[in-house]
Amino acid sequence: MSETPEPVENVTPEPGQRSKLASVSEVLTLYAICLFVALALAALLVEFASDKGSWSSVYTVILDGAVRKPGRWGLTLGIAAPILLVGLGTIVSGRAGLVNIGQEGQLVIGAGCATYVGVRIGGPGPLALALTLLCAVIGGALWAGIAGALRFWRNVPEVLTTLLMGTVAANLVGWGLRNRFLLLAPPEGRANRNQVSLPLRTDRRIPRVELFGNEFPLSIVLALVLAFVVWLVLGRTVVGFRLRMLGRNARTAQRSGVDQKRYGIGAMLVSGGFAGLAGGVMLAGGDFGDYQLVANFGAGIGFAGLLAALVARQRALLLIFIAFLFAGLRTGSGFLRATGVSARIADVVQGTLVLAMLLPPAILYLRARRRAIAATSSRT
Amino acid sequence: MTSTSDASFQNDMVGGEHSSPPTVELIDITKRFGQIVACDRVSLTLRSGKIHGILGENGAGKSTLMKVLIGLVLPDAGQIRLHGKPVQITDPIDAATHGIAMVHQHFSLVEALTVWENVALGDVGRLDHRHVRERVAQISEHYGLHINPDDRISDLSAGMRQRVEIIKCLRRDPQVLVFDEPTSVLSPSESEFLFAALRRVVQEEGKAVALVSHKLPEILSVTDEVTIMRDGKVVRAGETAGTAASELARAMVGRDVVLRREHAAFGVMDINDKPTPSPVATTAAAPSPSPALRLVDLHITGRDGRALLSGLTLDVYPGEIVGVAGVEDNGQRTLGDVLSSLVALDSGKVEVAGIGVATGRAGAMAKAGIGVIPEDRHDSGCVLDFTVAENLFIADPDRVSRRGFMNVATMRQRAEVLIRQFSINCTGPNAPMWSLSGGNQQRVVMARELAHDPKVLVAAQPTHGLDVGAIEYMSEQLRNAAATGVGVLLISTELEEVLDLSDRIVVIYNGRIVGEMSKGHVDVERLGMLMTGAGESHE
Repeated sequence: MSETPEPVENVTPEPGQRSKLASVSEVLTLYAICLFVALALAALLVEFASDKGSWSSVYTVILDGAVRKPGRWGLTLGIAAPILLVGLGTIVSGRAGLVNIGQEGQLVIGAGCATYVGVRIGGPGPLALALTLLCAVIGGALWAGIAGALRFWRNVPEVLTTLLMGTVAANLVGWGLRNRFLLLAPPEGRANRNQVSLPLRTDRRIPRVELFGNEFPLSIVLALVLAFVVWLVLGRTVVGFRLRMLGRNARTAQRSGVDQKRYGIGAMLVSGGFAGLAGGVMLAGGDFGDYQLVANFGAGIGFAGLLAALVARQRALLLIFIAFLFAGLRTGSGFLRATGVSARIADVVQGTLVLAMLLPPAILYLRARRRAIAATSSRT
Repeated sequence: MTSTSDASFQNDMVGGEHSSPPTVELIDITKRFGQIVACDRVSLTLRSGKIHGILGENGAGKSTLMKVLIGLVLPDAGQIRLHGKPVQITDPIDAATHGIAMVHQHFSLVEALTVWENVALGDVGRLDHRHVRERVAQISEHYGLHINPDDRISDLSAGMRQRVEIIKCLRRDPQVLVFDEPTSVLSPSESEFLFAALRRVVQEEGKAVALVSHKLPEILSVTDEVTIMRDGKVVRAGETAGTAASELARAMVGRDVVLRREHAAFGVMDINDKPTPSPVATTAAAPSPSPALRLVDLHITGRDGRALLSGLTLDVYPGEIVGVAGVEDNGQRTLGDVLSSLVALDSGKVEVAGIGVATGRAGAMAKAGIGVIPEDRHDSGCVLDFTVAENLFIADPDRVSRRGFMNVATMRQRAEVLIRQFSINCTGPNAPMWSLSGGNQQRVVMARELAHDPKVLVAAQPTHGLDVGAIEYMSEQLRNAAATGVGVLLISTELEEVLDLSDRIVVIYNGRIVGEMSKGHVDVERLGMLMTGAGESHE
C-alpha cells in the first residue's frame, strides 16, 4: 500500500567510473599480492613439511617446470589447449546465466566417443581425425544437452544435473573400458589388467609442431582461434547480445524476443561441445596418455577449465592468459615433484596458487557490488 | 439487512452507556515514509461486538493503519488506547499479549504440515500435541469452521486455509481481530461462510473486528461501522446502516478528482497547462473503424487455480488513450504480462491491427507492434548490467547490426540521438543502466519503445515512484504518442492518472472489464462502484 518512496531525483551523479588505467593497475596489484602471499605460504610449507627441497628453490622450480627447462613450455601449451577449450564452453553457458559445472564428465564422454569412433573409422587420416573430433563435440554436447533439456522442460536445476551427470559419465566410460565391444583394447598388446583402449593410428593424431626444442600439438592453435571466435560472437553479434541478455534478465529477454528454451539449451549444447572437444584433443593431442583412453582420463582438466573461466570472469580473451597460467601451474608443480618434494605437498602448493588466483576476482566482484549499492543509495 | 438494523439498535444502547470505553482507540495516528504521509492524523475506534469496515483505494493508508495496530509499523505521532488506557505496541508479539490478532491477506502456512502442526508453530516449550489438537477441534466446533486438526494444509482449499489462519488467531482468544482483505482469494460462497462465522464471533463473544476491504458490497452487508480513507486521511466515518453504496463510492474516490475532470470536460482549461492534443477530439468524433489492439475474451488461470483473467475483452483504437482503472490485483499485472509475451493465454485472442498474435511466444508482441512500459521496469523493461545504448536496442538489435554483427558505432550514434531527444540524463551511451536514476531509466524504456514505431503502447503504472517533473514528462509523452496515431493503453491503479490522461476509461475487476465511460461523461460514483465490484450487475 504505502511504499517507501523511490528515488525522486532526476540528476544522475557521476557513476563510479574511474579511468581504465587505474582499474587495470588495481587488478594487477591485487593479483601480485595474492600470488606473492600464496608463494610465501607454499615456500614455508616446502621448508617445514618436506625433508627434501628447500623453500628458496620453489619459485625457480615451478618456473623451470612451466617454461624455462627445455621442452617444458611445449608441454604447458599442450595442457593449456584443453583447459582453454573447457573454459570457453563455460563462458558461453555462464553468459547465458546457466551454471554448468559438469565439464569433467562432458569431457570424458567426449573422449570416449572420440575413442570409439577414432579406432574404428577408416578413410584418409585428416578426415578421420576431423570426424573423431566431431564425435567428441557431439558426445559432450549431448551429455550437457540432457541437463539443458531437464532445466528448460522440467525446471530441474542445471547445477545439480551437470554435476551428477559427471559422476555418471565417469562410470559409464569406465564401464566401456571394461568391455571389448565398446572401448577396451584386445588382450594382445596390453598388460593384462590394464583397462585401456586401442591407441589412435598415427595418421589420425593431431600433428605436433617442434619449435625451439619444444614440441606441442596444433590443438593449441585451434583453441586460440576458437577463443577469438567466442569473444567475437559474444561481444559483437546479435546472437551473443541476446545470449547475454538472457543471462542478465530472462524476463526482459523473453519480452524482447529471446526464446529461453532455444538459447538456453543452445548455450548448454555449445558448452558441452567445447568440453567434449577438449576431451577429443586430449586424446588425439598426445600430452595425456599415449593416444589411448585410460582410466580416469579426465585428470581434472574439466575442473581446471571451469576454474579458469571463473578466474577470467567470463572473458574469452583474458581466459587465454589464465589457461596458460593454469597449465603452467600444472607442469610446474609436476616438476616440483621431480625435485623430490612429495607429491602431496606439490599438490597443496598447486592448490594454494589456484586459490590465490581465485581470490582477486571474488574481491573485485564484491567491491564492484559495494560501489553499485553505494551509487544507488546515494541517490535515494 | 436485518443484521445491520440489529447492530444500529445495539449501537444506540452502547452509545448510551459511556461508562465502558471502546476496546481500541487509535487517536491522531500519523506515519510518514520519507516524503509520503501514509497516515495523516487518523483516528479509528473499534468497539466490542462490532465489525468495523475500513474502505479505501490502494495507497489510501488502510494497511499502514492496521500495521500500526498490530505493531508492525511504529507511528510517528498519535496514541493507541486499549479499554481507555494508553499503550505502546512495539511488535506483533506485544500486540498478541494485548489481545490483538490479525489475519493477513497472504497466508503463512506450511503446506507439508497438518493443521494442528501449523497452529502450534511458533509455540515455545514442550509441544503438547494432544492439547493443541483438542483446542483446534474445540475452536473449529465452537465457530462451526469444520476443520479437522489432522488434515494436511496442501489438501485444503483457499477458504479452508483461511479458516486455519483464523483458528491460529482465535486460539489465543484475542479481544480484537483484524482482517486484511480476507476475501481476495475466496470464492463467493467461501466469503459468505467467512462472514457468517465472523458474525458469530462478534455477537457471541463481544470481540471487536476490523475488516479492511475495497469491496463495497462486502462492507455494506457485513459491517456495523465504516471508516473511509483517502490519501492517508479519514474522509468519512460513521455507521454503515442507512448508508448508500453510492455515497461510500463517492467518498472513497474523492471529489477533487471530479473537479479536475469538470474543467477538462468543459475544455475551459487543461489542468496541466498543456496544449490539448487535437487528435483526441477527432477520435472522439469519429473513432477509426479498425482497432489498433483488440483483446477478445482473454482467460488465464494461475497456478493456484485462481482466475487471473476471466473473459477480458477490450478494444483500443489508434490515436486514443484508454485508461484501465481498477483496484490493485484485479488482473492488471497479468494483462501487462500477456502484452509483453511473458504468459500464454488459456483461451481468447490478441489482435494487433487486425492480425492475430501468438501469446507467450518470446518477442511476438513486440514484433507485432506492441510497445510496453512495464509496471516494474527492472523486471521486464531493462537490463541493469547493460549500457544505456544496449538497453535502447534490446528489443530490436537488428536495427543496429548487419549480417548478424552488431555495429557498435551506429549503435552509439543512434543512442546519442535518443538520449538527446528524450533528455536522458546520463554520462553517455556507455553508462551502465544501473547508474541512472529511476526517472531516467524510465525514459530509456520509453525512448526504446517509441523508437520502434509501435502501433500500440501499453503503459503500466508509468509514473509509479517518479517525481512530479518526471510524471509531467511521462504524461506528455503518452499524449504525444496518441497524437501520432498510436493506440495507448494506460493501466494504472492511480485513478487521478487515469482520469487525467484517458479519452476513454474502462474498469477492470476480477480479471475482466466491467464498465466503460468516455472522457466527457465520467460518473465518479459509478466508477467507484465498478472498481469495488458493486456495479458488476451493469453488465
